[in-house]
Amino acid sequence: MQVPSAQPARRWPLYLGVFLVLILLTVIEIMVAGSGVTPPALNVILLALSFSKAGLVAAFYMHLRGDHRLYTAIFVLPVLLLMVFAVLSVLI
Amino acid sequence: MSQQAMTHAEDYSAGLALGVDHRKIGMWLFIASEVMFFGGLIATYLHYKYTLGFPEASRLNIVAVGVNTTILLTSSLAVVMALSSIRAGRSGRMSVFLLLTILLGATFLTGQALEFSHLYGEGVTLTGSVFGSSFFTLTGFHGLHVLAGVVWAIVVLVRGLRRAFSAERNMGVEVFGLYWHFVDIVWIMLFTLIYLIP
Amino acid sequence: MTTYPATGTWRRYFSWNTDHKVIGIQYIVTSFVFFILAGMLAMLMRAELRAPGSDLLNAETYNQVMTNHGSLMIFLWILPVVAGFGNYLIPLMIGARDMAFPRLNALSYWLIPPAGLIMLASFFVGGAEAGWTAYVPLSIGGPPGQTLWAVSVMILGISAIMGAINFVTTVITMRAPGMTFGRLPLFVWGMMATSLLVLSATPVLTAGLVLVALDRVVGTQFFTVASGGDPILWQNLFWFYSHPAVYIMILPAMGIVSEIFPVFARKPIFGYRMIALSSMAIAVLGLTVWAHHMFASGMDPRLRVPYMVSSMVIAVPTGIKIFSWLATIWYGKLRLTTPMLFALGFISMFLIGGLTGIFLAAIPVDLHVTDTYFVVAHLHFVLFGGSVSAVYAGLYYWFPKITGRMYDEKTGRVHFVANFVGTNLAYLPMFAAGLMGMPRRVADYDPSFTSYNQMATLGGLILALSTLPFLYNAIVSWARGPKAAANPWSALTLEWQTSSPPPTENFAEIPVVTTDPYAYGEESSLTAEPAAAPAAG
Repeated sequence: MQVPSAQPARRWPLYLGVFLVLILLTVIEIMVAGSGVTPPALNVILLALSFSKAGLVAAFYMHLRGDHRLYTAIFVLPVLLLMVFAVLSVLI
Repeated sequence: MSQQAMTHAEDYSAGLALGVDHRKIGMWLFIASEVMFFGGLIATYLHYKYTLGFPEASRLNIVAVGVNTTILLTSSLAVVMALSSIRAGRSGRMSVFLLLTILLGATFLTGQALEFSHLYGEGVTLTGSVFGSSFFTLTGFHGLHVLAGVVWAIVVLVRGLRRAFSAERNMGVEVFGLYWHFVDIVWIMLFTLIYLIP
Repeated sequence: MTTYPATGTWRRYFSWNTDHKVIGIQYIVTSFVFFILAGMLAMLMRAELRAPGSDLLNAETYNQVMTNHGSLMIFLWILPVVAGFGNYLIPLMIGARDMAFPRLNALSYWLIPPAGLIMLASFFVGGAEAGWTAYVPLSIGGPPGQTLWAVSVMILGISAIMGAINFVTTVITMRAPGMTFGRLPLFVWGMMATSLLVLSATPVLTAGLVLVALDRVVGTQFFTVASGGDPILWQNLFWFYSHPAVYIMILPAMGIVSEIFPVFARKPIFGYRMIALSSMAIAVLGLTVWAHHMFASGMDPRLRVPYMVSSMVIAVPTGIKIFSWLATIWYGKLRLTTPMLFALGFISMFLIGGLTGIFLAAIPVDLHVTDTYFVVAHLHFVLFGGSVSAVYAGLYYWFPKITGRMYDEKTGRVHFVANFVGTNLAYLPMFAAGLMGMPRRVADYDPSFTSYNQMATLGGLILALSTLPFLYNAIVSWARGPKAAANPWSALTLEWQTSSPPPTENFAEIPVVTTDPYAYGEESSLTAEPAAAPAAG
């Protein structure tokens, strides 16, 4: 017996839509990287784009959106910790 | 007394009451530990990127790897479609999408192998420089995770062909999917951190 | 209460078995073996240090002995033994029949003996000699055994992560009806906080060990200074794990004494919610303080200050716990059984260790005493005076439950007195030696430190001898001690509401919980009703 899924069965239009956005964001990323934008603005934009992509995959493909928020906490808290550690290992 | 695992479905009633499945919790906790493992490798890469500058990174082919990234993103679509299929009871359709996942995953790995050999041809090697060590270790461990995912996908495919899953019993597919999407998310970040950010 | 016969023979402890009680015993006994081995290495060190001059061991051998003493104690004694307690107790305490993933549980145990053998094998191929901290580039260029050391620690880390996944999932999804989070025993809260640390910190060490192993075996350049490699990066990766590791070593210990005080003071625990929250606070804060081990490394001086502050702030939840325990036993009806004696000893000795930790958190003090015996004294007070005392307390307390027999109380008291005297005699002089400038990790020292070292060696000898009454008590009582009742301490947590030892599936019927586990002195403080009643929720 498993927990009844919070997701209805017919979601493929959503998944396809998310996929198209992911591809679009990837194309934008590559274009931005090749454009004349310089750091730090470039880095902020690129990170925002990649976090958006990651967020879409996590929210819709991994079903975090709609599932119990405990799963989201288990995922997001280490990500935040990783960001703190990565920044500090560059600084120290 | 028997040494088999003696737990029964009703043992997980606290989880059911809360609305969480123990296998999903287990996988998410495992993913949390993997976030931190990649975190260590990413911190290493970024540390050296900022202290040494990594001029060799200019040899990286952004467009080619961009294509490879797209392949991995497509594989994530295939995985979630596989899960969606079995949730609707369509086991055959699930198998098709799993097969697609395996092919796309293998293609991604082939792309990685080609990129690695190209870099070796240009003199960028695992042991030749701090950049080489950091780059190949980080992307290499990601590739190993993709490989493990491909193997797991084959196992899920075989189990699916043996009718192990149904519209009501598909946690095995969902848990595999969580792993695969996580590996995809890691690559989304690596693509930006290694290839795009100067 | 039906008594079930103990199932199976002693052989099941040497084979693959998915029962969490068997696995818990496997963990505890295996780690105790490594405790003895690591203790013998310590005796070698103390014998060498009894007098100045390298009389018994040359410097290289001393460094190998010192490295393995620390590594065995940390990775193969304390960390696995607390996991062993968690394994044995968590399902019983929450009213479950086993862990969420029994086969993963068995696997997590069976990684330990091979990993231990690999670490011991390193002695024979040229032992690791860079300390348990394995700083680079020393550990990169060191003898071949260093690679085995790294592999062993990686395996143990993977085992620990598997265990943590099991503990957290089990507590979330397998609590008995009525066992709300607000009624969880404090030991379980301690293990939850511990598991969060294991999950978030251990993988970073694993990553660092991968880099060290790659540098040594394959020739990568991660820590080759001439190519731009940075030794400080290793320190960051190492301490990001190894500081939380000390909380992994102490939070279960604090959980154990939290169980013991209410029972032997016959009073409800004071500040249940504060103790539970403090455990989680210590875990979260513990992830932010690692660079206080690097104050003298040359890191940016401005960055040191936040780490000092956070390291001092951690003393607050710790202090809350200590005051809560004192308030628990205040005016209580104390029974000075062996577990209670060890728990009381824990408070006093952990307090010394903890207070000296605050000294070390202050940057100017640390710059003076870092890498001296002051640090050695501090860490042994928290780890030996603290964690080991609590482990002994737990071993005595749950001995009747685990073995079905009662230990001998008089022998237990002898053990306690010898342990308490030995610990203080061994480690108090080290504070003085450190303040006077004696460096750590040396086989030889200036003759001015001789009297401190002689006292420490005497204390160490007493400690070594104190293990004997414990071993005698444990072995003889397990074999022939008087049969124990289900609840010899009249305690209220669920593990005492089933037979000693528990039957294979822990409970004849899953209990329904109606009160909190420390409701001593209250009118109707029956915790478990036979499950004829419907689930109370």
